[in-house]
Amino acid sequence: MEPLLVVRNAEKIYGNSANTFKALENISFEIDHGEFVGVMGPSGAGKSTLLNVLATIDSPTNGDILIGNDNIAKMKEEALADFRRDHLGFIFQDYNLLDSLTVRENILLPLAIAKKPAAEIKERVDTIARTFGISNLLDKYPYQISGGQKQRTAASRALVSNPKLIFADEPTGALDSKSATDLLESLSKLNVEHETTIMMVTHDAYAASFCRRILFIKDGQLSKEKFRGTKTRKEFFQMILDELAQIGGDVHDVI
Amino acid sequence: MTLFDLALKNIRRNMKSYSLYIGSTIFSIIIYFTFVTLKYSEDISSLAETSKQISSIMSASAFVLMIFVAIFIAYSNSFFMKKRKKEVALYSLLGVRKRSIGFMLFFENMVIGLLSLVVGVGLGFLLSRALLTILMKLMGLDIVIGFAFSIDAVINTLIVFFIIFLFTSMQGYRVIYQFKLIDLFHAEKKGEELPKARMISAILGVVTLATAYWLALQDLTTSPIWRMLSLAMPIVIIALTVIGSALIFNSVLVYMLSIMKNNKRWAWKGLNLMTSSQLLYRIRGNAKTLTIIATLSATTITAGGAVFGLYYNADKNVQTYTPYTFMWEGAPQEIDPHLIEHAETVHSKTLRIEQGAYEMEYAVIKQSTFEKLAKNLDWSDIQVAKDEEVLMIDAFYNEQWSQKVDSVMIDGTEYKVAKLYDKAVFNTFTIGASAIVVTDKLYSEITADEKTYQAVQVKDYKNQLALSEELAAKTENFSSATEDYRASIEASGALLFVGSFLGLVFLVATGSIIFFKMMTDAEEDKGKYAVLYKIGVSKREMKRTIRSQVGMIFAAPLGLGLLHGAVALTAFSNLLMMNLLVPVLIWMLAYTLIYTIYYFITVRSFNKTVH
Repeated sequence: MEPLLVVRNAEKIYGNSANTFKALENISFEIDHGEFVGVMGPSGAGKSTLLNVLATIDSPTNGDILIGNDNIAKMKEEALADFRRDHLGFIFQDYNLLDSLTVRENILLPLAIAKKPAAEIKERVDTIARTFGISNLLDKYPYQISGGQKQRTAASRALVSNPKLIFADEPTGALDSKSATDLLESLSKLNVEHETTIMMVTHDAYAASFCRRILFIKDGQLSKEKFRGTKTRKEFFQMILDELAQIGGDVHDVI
Repeated sequence: MTLFDLALKNIRRNMKSYSLYIGSTIFSIIIYFTFVTLKYSEDISSLAETSKQISSIMSASAFVLMIFVAIFIAYSNSFFMKKRKKEVALYSLLGVRKRSIGFMLFFENMVIGLLSLVVGVGLGFLLSRALLTILMKLMGLDIVIGFAFSIDAVINTLIVFFIIFLFTSMQGYRVIYQFKLIDLFHAEKKGEELPKARMISAILGVVTLATAYWLALQDLTTSPIWRMLSLAMPIVIIALTVIGSALIFNSVLVYMLSIMKNNKRWAWKGLNLMTSSQLLYRIRGNAKTLTIIATLSATTITAGGAVFGLYYNADKNVQTYTPYTFMWEGAPQEIDPHLIEHAETVHSKTLRIEQGAYEMEYAVIKQSTFEKLAKNLDWSDIQVAKDEEVLMIDAFYNEQWSQKVDSVMIDGTEYKVAKLYDKAVFNTFTIGASAIVVTDKLYSEITADEKTYQAVQVKDYKNQLALSEELAAKTENFSSATEDYRASIEASGALLFVGSFLGLVFLVATGSIIFFKMMTDAEEDKGKYAVLYKIGVSKREMKRTIRSQVGMIFAAPLGLGLLHGAVALTAFSNLLMMNLLVPVLIWMLAYTLIYTIYYFITVRSFNKTVH
């Protein structure tokens, strides 16, 4: 089967000719349909830059990024907007909800943008809210609910339009362990049951252990790749910790 | 539910930030519409026939107001757009095309604009009625205001604001297209460098400003610099002042704050460190805005002070050249005896006296007449002319321009001028500004035609218009303080009205600009104060540092503006030889007071935003 995402020799260089900094260097990998991939690495390794580039928020300096048959590295602004609308979903550490809209309205925003009929919107929002267990919060405002509930709202918004690919940037970064576990379990369930493709950047080994595959990144380059395979989540967690200890030794930074 | 519905909903829920923007636009429209209505008002235009000045003042002011209102709306709009960046970014992230977002913002801004226009014109209509009444009162006119809705004013306002809104809406498009999605995710600003204090530019700033002040205070007639630069002089002064102000904010204040910050005994106490470093960033970053505000304040203070000074001194000016309420040539007239305070008959002979190349015409009066006239006016320095002596009166005497006369030749004999009075003892229009007082004996010896004048002082001279008109019809060479006062108050009253109107607008606008700036800063500072709260800084202490930060931002341009204004007004009063101290002080106090109210409002909102 054809991979969903293909990254070929992606590079991101900041600064002008005199003083350049390579945030990403010669990155190539693929993600298949239905995968749950984690990206890990120490602070400043280029994790978020990679995610931003893949998510069309930022553009690579060189290289190709193909999602399906579209090369997003070469796409124009307008086409990118349409592409994001139709194929991508986002979850951020700081939620990015609109305070002036209710939970329901926040979730249905992507569908409204895609001009879906009202009946379909209602059904889809109710379904996704049930998946994330926030059905009873739909008419509340973001300032009335907890951080974990906000993040589940944001995740619902990311998933409601059935995008090809979900990008999550430290989604558990601001959550307590209970909320984080709830969210990760929901994502994991969606991945298994609906074959939703997810790419998640995290520096938390616990969060990473929910993934099926981990890409390690260091100094802007891919350094290693680990597969969960048939291991239990706990075994995979231990494996990630060992790997982190081996890479940079700075476990304090990643836990 | 469409995106349009959501956008509408968003407007309703975000009313607070919208209302600030809508409020500023409505305010601008009210102000402009009111002013234009007054300009087109028939009462004013009938008045304008009598004094051409008023109509040209109104037209010029309307233009200034238009420019100003445009800048103000553009400023509020950009502040408003900044607040909505997050929303716009999210739409973009969720895949709405930039063109659609741009159109949405354009549409929204036009709707806001049109709604504000309707409300603004409506309120402006009510307000202009009240303001016209005030204007008439200030001009001392008792006209019943027949006020018609001026279509011309409505059309004028509609066109001007439609263009302004079109422009700001375009501005929205520009923001959208320049905006990069990645900016949203780089919320944490790249560490800004702490501004370095450069001693040289600090000194340069002080020197530039001092030079500007020194030039402004130069005597117009004697200064060689004025002669050299002539008409370019005011431009040089203004340019130096603006540059000096910019340098003051850019370097001098930064320099002072760095010194304070480096003083460990002061800085390492409480939140002083925070206050000074926040101010360092803020003043340098806002140097342009602060300079604009200082310049605007200075303009307002100077113009307002000068106009208010003229109005305040209208009374005195009239009495300088028209000390008696009525004077005329000929026989006494019948006047209600209850009104009369003093009534004198003045005999005078006209003499032409050679003075160098010129021949001057003088009215000659007797010592006894002079004493009576001067006593009525409560002069304290009445001198008696001895034999061989005369007294000279020259109401227009000016130390710089007038020639000093030491002696006069009358009928071949030379008489010493014992004293020169530079004030009028009778109305200059009726008899003339120059007079010679001679002894009664000499007066009877002078062979020249004698004319008879009447000088009358009545009670409450400002309100004797009927009597004045009656006398004017019956007599010759008639002069009236009542009439002069009316004319003067009419002109300066209109000036005062326009001046205080524009002054108020500038004041409100400068205050609002600072308010907007500080609110933007407050939004950025939220995180800092949250951290402070977490490490155990009390709310009281935080409020204190906020007070001093906001206070400094308010005080610095106001102080500089007041200083500029004081210098400019000193120059102005020197030029007109008028004492403007009292009216200028009143004006400055009023200005500072309103400014202070703004300060308190800003501090309150800042606190609210941060906590």
